[in-house]
Amino acid sequence: MKTVAKAEPRVPAWARSSRMIAIYSVVVGIGIWQLAYEGLARTPYFEAYAIQHFLASPLQVIETFGELYRSGELFRHSYFSLLEFAYGFVLSVVVGIPVGFLMATQKKINTCLDPWVSCIYATPRVALAPIIIVWFGLGIFPNALIVFLGAVFPILLNTYTGIKSVRQNLIELVRAFGGSPLQVFFKVMIPDATPAIIAGLRLAVGRAVIGVVVAEWFGAEAGLGYMVYFYSQLFQPGPVFVGIVVLVVFGILSFIALDKVQGWISPWYAYQVRREVHGMEME
Amino acid sequence: METPASKLVVRNLRKAFRSQRSEESVQVFEDISLEVHPSEFISLVGPSGCGKTTFLRILDGLISHDDGEILLDGKTVIKPGPDKGFVFQDSSLLPWRTVMDNVILGLELQGVDTREARRKAGGYISLVGLAGFENHYPHELSGGMQQRVNLARALIVDPQVLLMDEPFASLDAQTREIMQAELLKMWNQTRKTVIFVTHQIEEAIFLSDRVVVFSARPATIREIVKVSIPRPRSLSVKRTKEFLDLADRVWSIIQDEVLKSMGREREEGMR
Repeated sequence: MKTVAKAEPRVPAWARSSRMIAIYSVVVGIGIWQLAYEGLARTPYFEAYAIQHFLASPLQVIETFGELYRSGELFRHSYFSLLEFAYGFVLSVVVGIPVGFLMATQKKINTCLDPWVSCIYATPRVALAPIIIVWFGLGIFPNALIVFLGAVFPILLNTYTGIKSVRQNLIELVRAFGGSPLQVFFKVMIPDATPAIIAGLRLAVGRAVIGVVVAEWFGAEAGLGYMVYFYSQLFQPGPVFVGIVVLVVFGILSFIALDKVQGWISPWYAYQVRREVHGMEME
Repeated sequence: METPASKLVVRNLRKAFRSQRSEESVQVFEDISLEVHPSEFISLVGPSGCGKTTFLRILDGLISHDDGEILLDGKTVIKPGPDKGFVFQDSSLLPWRTVMDNVILGLELQGVDTREARRKAGGYISLVGLAGFENHYPHELSGGMQQRVNLARALIVDPQVLLMDEPFASLDAQTREIMQAELLKMWNQTRKTVIFVTHQIEEAIFLSDRVVVFSARPATIREIVKVSIPRPRSLSVKRTKEFLDLADRVWSIIQDEVLKSMGREREEGMR
């Protein structure tokens, strides 16, 4: 445990203040939103264009959040979405990591699967959602399948790249000291590929959240995506924004959780992963 | 049969690599024979690209050879194992492991209990002068310190022979000299048999009992130069006449070989 604490970067003064700047920035942004809304509400345009059906102020969003929370509606939708996310994501991990590993190490399997992976990866998965709903109907499992289709590829491809780029000199090192193939796998390949795999998991979280929303737009009886869609059809912006905010917070919390897992598995990589991930999220 | 006084015997070793382009095989070693005594310090020098490193890898069993035999303590070398310690040119430390956990790697691979391995590692970490750095990660160490870890990692398995592949090549000149002196000190304490590959002639002479000079490819042993400068040697012996004469001699042999190989390359280029 001591080593983990040691590898954690100590936050210098400037970083602390830049974190404060980030917080101020968000607070000020929300403040401007609130003031703009109230300013707009005093103009004749507000009534004329029925702005209250398109826009909600931050305070109204908080208020609506309270209502939805107390009525239990928010919990029901969140629970449904969370299940879809969890099933889809776990399935992505269970399929993506082993298949990525096999493709990286077995040339024949790679030759065989590569065209399929490339084709399905290139397919806009949103276009697959309606047909999956048609095949499997409404419910958690077809939606989880759509989540899976979005999330599995970042995991699979990053595992592939991670294993492919394991440093050969480290493999040779373990061999030179009489290590078995199994020891090479556990003591070099897995740890050296871990940062790339974790980066893939982070990308997959984003894709999975998109998958949840898309799946629920095409067919669902509950869920946060469903909630957003449903209330937008009723021209009630309050619950729409509540749904969006909950999805955002969920995404951010998942990132933080993955960072923790990373720090726990391999503290040394904390910096490197953060760099890699930021590079990849640009796309 | 070989005399029991030989630690390591190489007899009529041959090795060819198949070149991917021409389907022809390239002869790397032609009939190499060498006997190394226990506790002897041997250096291998030769023109660049003559296969010194490949030779060391064959001795370790990392690469197979075509013909001939290698005996360590009378037993044929087939594969890598704890009877040989390998010190790599780039330190090849596992970046996710502390100094301590890098040093115990060899023991861990043999299935030694981690706690016991760590207890044993303390002594070797002190031996290479890194006491107090046990919990540092490789990226927190200088190049010289990384090579010390590299060395401790090879020593802890208590190998019969230490195979060192240009371990100081990437260090700056000052650190390199210090490491040479320290290596001799450690060698005095442990009395391991060492095969040391280098391209620096003065490094080879300073460290070794004998300097083996390889010819250009296909490599054979061109000459074995005995270094009878008394031990313990300090860095100042590098300025004595005896030392400089030896360096001249080794250099002139290598120069011959380099010219020869350049001539052949030109011929091949014209073909």
